Amino acid sequence: MDVQETTAACRDAFAELASPACIHDPYPFMRWLREHDPVHRAASGLFLLSRHADIYWALKATGDAFRGPVPGELARYFPRAATSLSLNLLASTLAMKEPPAHTRLRRLISRDFTISQIDNLRPSIARIVAARLDGMAPALERGEAVDVHREFALALPMLVFAELFGMPQDDMFGLAAGIGAILEGLGPHASDPQLATADAASARVQAYFGDHIQRKRTDPRHDIVSMLVGAHDDDADTLSDAELISMLWGMLLGGFATTAATIDHAVLAMLAYPEQRHWLQGDAVGVEAFVEEVLRCDAPAMFSSIPRIAQRDIELGGVVIPKNADVRVLIAAGNRDPDAFADPDRFDPARFYGTSPGMSTDGKIMLSFGHGIHFCLGAQLARVQLAESLPRIQARFPTLALAEQPTREPSAFLRTFRALPVRLHAKGG
Amino acid sequence: MRVVVDQDLCGTTGQCVLTLPGTFRQREPDGVAEVCVATVPRTLHAAVRLAASQCPVAAIRVIESDAGDDERAGADPAPCPAEAERHAAKDQRNTGGHDGTV
Repeated sequence: MDVQETTAACRDAFAELASPACIHDPYPFMRWLREHDPVHRAASGLFLLSRHADIYWALKATGDAFRGPVPGELARYFPRAATSLSLNLLASTLAMKEPPAHTRLRRLISRDFTISQIDNLRPSIARIVAARLDGMAPALERGEAVDVHREFALALPMLVFAELFGMPQDDMFGLAAGIGAILEGLGPHASDPQLATADAASARVQAYFGDHIQRKRTDPRHDIVSMLVGAHDDDADTLSDAELISMLWGMLLGGFATTAATIDHAVLAMLAYPEQRHWLQGDAVGVEAFVEEVLRCDAPAMFSSIPRIAQRDIELGGVVIPKNADVRVLIAAGNRDPDAFADPDRFDPARFYGTSPGMSTDGKIMLSFGHGIHFCLGAQLARVQLAESLPRIQARFPTLALAEQPTREPSAFLRTFRALPVRLHAKGG
Repeated sequence: MRVVVDQDLCGTTGQCVLTLPGTFRQREPDGVAEVCVATVPRTLHAAVRLAASQCPVAAIRVIESDAGDDERAGADPAPCPAEAERHAAKDQRNTGGHDGTV
């Protein structure tokens, strides 16, 4: 699609995002949308915001201008919820809760996600990183191509989650295989077969966590599941096993496919912009700036997956969003809005050098972790995994190069890869 | 200048602690933000305003009380006093006897 030539209104941006052209590179379309239809109403009735200022406002206005769906309305916003396990699990996750239940549940979980708790994980994350890179080294040094997506980007967050959840690694690898299918099934335009595949995978996750919770109840250890089971058993009327399973399912969904995608994009950025690798060879502040710029340039979750429902008629940019409309935000477009980030398609970690995490030197918020009460619970965990990985990849494999063009996952929602094959440049070549 | 955190609103993201670790901390065990200084030194005024504007849930309120401190918070003003009132009015569910000292 030659977006520059398109002057007619786009009928459905979600459908366009699923097109092969957008899977390859969604940013020209996002630019068109931001400039021509920034408060887009899709054929399905969903609204989609694509300007940074509007997205920032909408995310922060949750609870005021917007609310989450209440249980009785689930069928209205998710017509297939009556028959879909995945949609029912989604409805019970933290992302779909509103205060005061949201506040209480989030605080239960956030005990394990405080900045100091995540810092305590650094040594074990660093160990996992080093072990995975050691595992890749022999093949790379023989001149072979290695799929860094599978061998590193996906493996790292899975292994970190296995530790957090107190699960054997093989169990985590087994569950994780279905997560991509679940994410696809939850998309607003998923087909019935996609939703059925998602539900089959969700059923496996549900059954596993049901057993896992029982194991942790009889044999608690220092992991999130044991802690939540303990909190739950002290407070049995408000957090059922079903809710607990939904929360663990939600953490898996939100946690590792997104982290893996960002590691992939970071490796691609290292390969595409070798002049920027110096950020990874100096102090932690430079590494953090590189990480934030990767997150800005390629938001892994391109739009918000949960409904934000207008509490009243809302006028935005001359468009009236009617009361009760489901409003989504196109995070990836906001991150590339020139009104927020000058020359937005340029990869430039200097934008984030020495700033608060997630804020540019101009005081603009990087949107990939969201904002407002549903700000990503695992933001710091993701940042630490990236910060512990990238300098080690750079130091261990300074001649890393693409072995062939990466294969994108054909997803409108999650910008990620099926394969990212890399090799080492021949020495002295 | 003083700064307060609305502990009912706090989303426990820890963003303020990452921004200004000497000014904010996360209380144990639930991660709710606390302010650990009585007044904000002048050298940190701009940084505290930034931290307030960056808070995902606008739970940080800056009280610009110093005489002669006429700078305003710029494009993203500090949360309005209504939020402090909501804090006072809301029925806080106390999960574990933390005193919420700021």
